[in-house]
Amino acid sequence: MLKWSSRELTVAGVLVILWLGLAVFAPDFFSPQPLLSRLTSSAPKLLVGCGIALVILTRNIDISVGSLYAVASVAAGHASHSAPTPAVIVAVAIVTGLCGGVINGFLVATLRLPSIVVTLATMVTWRESLRLGQQGVFINLPDNSQWFSLSMVPGQWTVVLTALVILASLAWAQKNLAAGRHLHAVGSDPEAARLTGISPGRTTFSAFVLCGVLTGLAAALNLVQSPQIDPNTGRLLELEGVAAAVVAGFAVSGGRGRLFALLPATLLLVSISPALTYLGAKPYWDKAVHGAIILAAVMADGLGRPKQGSRSQAA
Amino acid sequence: MLLLTIELIFFGLYGRRFLTADNGVNIIRHSVEIGMLALVMLPVILTGGIDLSVGSLLGLCAVLFGKLWRDVGVAWPIAAVGSVVVGLTGGGLNAVLITRLRLPPLIVTLSTYSLFRGLAEAITQGTDAFTGFPESFLFIGTGEWGGLPAQAWLLLMTGLGIALLIHQTTWGRSIRAIGFSAEGAEYAGLPVQRRVACAYCLAGAMAGLAALTYTARFGTAKADAGAGYELAAITAVVLGGASIFGGRGSVAGTVLGVAVLGVLGNGLTRLPATLSTASELSGIVTGLLLLASLALPRLPGMLITSTATACERPRSTS
Amino acid sequence: MTSPLLQLSGIKKAFGAVTALNSVSFDLRPGEVHALLGGNGAGKSTLIKVITGAHMPDAGTVAVGGHPISRLTPAIARSLGIACIYQQPALFPDLTVTENIGLRLESTSPFRRVRHSERRRVATSLLRQVGAGFTGETAVYDLSMPQQQLVEIACAIGAGAKILIMDEPTASLTQPEQELLFGVVDDLRRNGSGIIYISHRLEEIFQIANRVTVLRDGESVVTRELVRTSGPDGTSICQGFDEADLIRWMVGRSVERTPIAIPPASAPNRLTVHALGCDVSGVRNVTFDIRAGEIVGLTGLVGAGRTELARMLFGLTPADTGEIRLDGVPVTISSPAAAVALGIGYLPEDRRRHGIILDLPVAQNISMSVQSRIFPMGWLRPDAEKTLAEQYIRRLDIKTAGSGAEASTLSGGNQQKVAMARWLATNPKVLILDEPTQGVDVGAKSEIHQHIRSLVDEGLAVLLISSELAEILALSHRIGVMRLGTLTAMFDGQPSAAQLMRAALGNQEPGDQPC
Repeated sequence: MLKWSSRELTVAGVLVILWLGLAVFAPDFFSPQPLLSRLTSSAPKLLVGCGIALVILTRNIDISVGSLYAVASVAAGHASHSAPTPAVIVAVAIVTGLCGGVINGFLVATLRLPSIVVTLATMVTWRESLRLGQQGVFINLPDNSQWFSLSMVPGQWTVVLTALVILASLAWAQKNLAAGRHLHAVGSDPEAARLTGISPGRTTFSAFVLCGVLTGLAAALNLVQSPQIDPNTGRLLELEGVAAAVVAGFAVSGGRGRLFALLPATLLLVSISPALTYLGAKPYWDKAVHGAIILAAVMADGLGRPKQGSRSQAA
Repeated sequence: MLLLTIELIFFGLYGRRFLTADNGVNIIRHSVEIGMLALVMLPVILTGGIDLSVGSLLGLCAVLFGKLWRDVGVAWPIAAVGSVVVGLTGGGLNAVLITRLRLPPLIVTLSTYSLFRGLAEAITQGTDAFTGFPESFLFIGTGEWGGLPAQAWLLLMTGLGIALLIHQTTWGRSIRAIGFSAEGAEYAGLPVQRRVACAYCLAGAMAGLAALTYTARFGTAKADAGAGYELAAITAVVLGGASIFGGRGSVAGTVLGVAVLGVLGNGLTRLPATLSTASELSGIVTGLLLLASLALPRLPGMLITSTATACERPRSTS
Repeated sequence: MTSPLLQLSGIKKAFGAVTALNSVSFDLRPGEVHALLGGNGAGKSTLIKVITGAHMPDAGTVAVGGHPISRLTPAIARSLGIACIYQQPALFPDLTVTENIGLRLESTSPFRRVRHSERRRVATSLLRQVGAGFTGETAVYDLSMPQQQLVEIACAIGAGAKILIMDEPTASLTQPEQELLFGVVDDLRRNGSGIIYISHRLEEIFQIANRVTVLRDGESVVTRELVRTSGPDGTSICQGFDEADLIRWMVGRSVERTPIAIPPASAPNRLTVHALGCDVSGVRNVTFDIRAGEIVGLTGLVGAGRTELARMLFGLTPADTGEIRLDGVPVTISSPAAAVALGIGYLPEDRRRHGIILDLPVAQNISMSVQSRIFPMGWLRPDAEKTLAEQYIRRLDIKTAGSGAEASTLSGGNQQKVAMARWLATNPKVLILDEPTQGVDVGAKSEIHQHIRSLVDEGLAVLLISSELAEILALSHRIGVMRLGTLTAMFDGQPSAAQLMRAALGNQEPGDQPC
């Protein structure tokens, strides 16, 4: 039973319009194989979006995911040389992500440092460490890691379905597990949460760790798609994730948003750049468009928000 | 200060040709843009805000400057004015969104961080670079005047200007008061939103100015100009003793912070081959230094606060 | 006789030099409603915080169900079944009502399936019990303050609280909502819970209370049983004491009015306010004037709209209807900066958050609102600032290590003088003082009173907001009383404390002049 909020409907509506436009002007967009490939390459973005959304739910932000994604990819890539099985790749990527999440979580939740500065610092630290260690050299992956040793089309389906299953179970947990509701409570009012007996610190910490794990998993899903990896992968990923979360209706002031809405939001965002290309615009506009989309979504929230200043003075 | 001394001694001992006048000039040259951005990041942080977009704005200004000069064909001094105006406009956009719409500075400047860089890339189509600037312009970035690199004078003037603004005017007073307690400042009748808006506009205008010295130093204006400078600027300010929560911080501290970063970046490249590492190390160390300077003051307090949370606090008005 | 649910004896609590509670004893029996009365600042909130474990008493013992508790914390209090419904509910605004109730009642272990249907069932039945007119699917964000209070009550009932503290639960309820609430209270009482009931509506006390305790100046003045007998026509009649007795106990008998010079009637009107109102702050139709050299006192219960009126006059929440004239000229006050430019000063109620900036030196605090005057072109002149600060430090006798000392190093009374100095330095035409002596020790208090008196000699118009009747009576030329967001009475002569209290509580007698 899904109740659609107005935000989900809006996003889905815009998505449908965009797709209709593409169907008319660029019918190639919907030919099955490129479409499946495009969905496959969007799957990691969906997971990263989930991670960032969980963190935003607690009134924080994580902009280190792009760098962490690259670190996890490279670590898994190296590991695959000594033990070339898909399981190792996935495990190493997830563990690397977990470690990154733990570090962020410790700094933000335990030391109570501002998340933006912490993750800005870890973002640069991971990225530069990678540049130092890897010097931009691509890593070749063993053949059998590709598509989980499956052939391409089943492999693509595996990737897409894995991402969807994870999104669905997280969305379920957000609604049906006490922990999911605790995220909302902490983001909505940390002080009230404390009085209710929910530890804001532990909850925030978990959100960062989960974000790290999802980032690692996303890296793994990306790795199986290509024969080699670029150590510069994952640039801009944090912005795409924040954009997806904000478009999906996650309030940056915490406490509000539904993970399920990330699906239409991510699909919308990943459709924009192909749409621009099909419609004749240059791909260089990607970044600017992303920035503009975040701004537009936040502004819509800011303007639509009822004036709350007097709430505490009334009574 | 202590950190700077340690660095100087360390690199003096192990570095090759580190403690030479030439190298000193070099360090200054490389620190100018970050210095200028840090100096304007300081007032923003004093208000309790943050500006992540300055590095990207620098890139956008540099590209537009090149565009104005090469494709529109105006004289470079006019294009330079244009660059500062673009910076001011970009900063103004941040200011309007933050003070008029009351959106959080973090998310506003994160999206303009992407927006400005994206516009720069779009204008250059990702690859175009503007080169061949006249000697008179390049002088700003490569020339020497009165024994110091030309842009050092610019930095010096900026530093003095910002120091006067922050420490000698009512505006500096006000933004500190706002950083300590925005509500308290409002109750004193200070025009809080206007003062905060000024800080973001100033940061934007300075990004436009820094774009000039950056372009003049490298001789090219590319879309990736100033990437990562926002982090370096924030690090310098925080290293310089400013509180990320607003109110506390000084120009002298920020200048020291910039010096620490500058010496570090330069020193690392001059270590002997056995220790030699690349420029990437300075990025890593920057990140780690920032974390350490934030975390260290918190560590002792953490043990105390974690036991004292049982007390019911008065509920703050939302 | 069963042992009391709660027994407090000899509770003492002081904050710095201010004694909030002095040897207060209090008990609560099962199945009773024990009303706690007292003027603002009598110590009710402090007593409640002791019971909920938020404050540790300096001396005295707390026993719950006959067992003495040595160290009561909020968590222990909750586990003992003590629940408090504050006037400011602690709910999660972004979540639904059902969700809020669920979070409060269910275990906090994270890996537990949330049973939405069960939750909804519990929430719906609780909401029905408290007679809420909204469903559990409503977001708390969209609820009004009284509705949020109902949610709090529902939580307390759901948690099976044995000791329920209600802090002015009806302050903003409508009549039908109130009747429902009394039904809820009756149910709780029948189930053997004890309720500590705080209210300023005296008629309610006679309606539902079994016992009454009156606090005054941190001491318990009296505890009386209310005996109800059924009258011939079926209505209940209370015996033992009446409203007049309660009011007398609350204000005490010692309130003497020191007569002060009445300003000449010919003095021009400084501030004229006509039909002023503002939707968001719940203030409507306020009309009054203040002459040059006059102190107009403004009193009323907490939440009557006094501070909200001051915030409107100072441009913090600009008025949306009505007119303000300053020296006869109509003005719009859209921001505090505009108010300061017009010559209006406001000494806010919350000194530490609004009145001064604790991290800044005394001198900077004093000069903050006159920056444009003493610093031409925005250029700081430390010597001019120091002169100004020292002038006021001398004039108000502020005890500080020097004008450069951080304001946080000063005592409360001296901090308040710094906040006052800031406004005196602006040479205002109108000065609004909101609870100027709250949390200030006795010595500083009388000094501040002296300064307020001397201000009007310079032709200032002062609006003095205070909950302390003695203060209002001692200083004001005229006294206005606010109730439910509007000015309900303006006393010209020398009203008695009881008259003021009656006006604030809303039961007028023929002798009082309505506005």
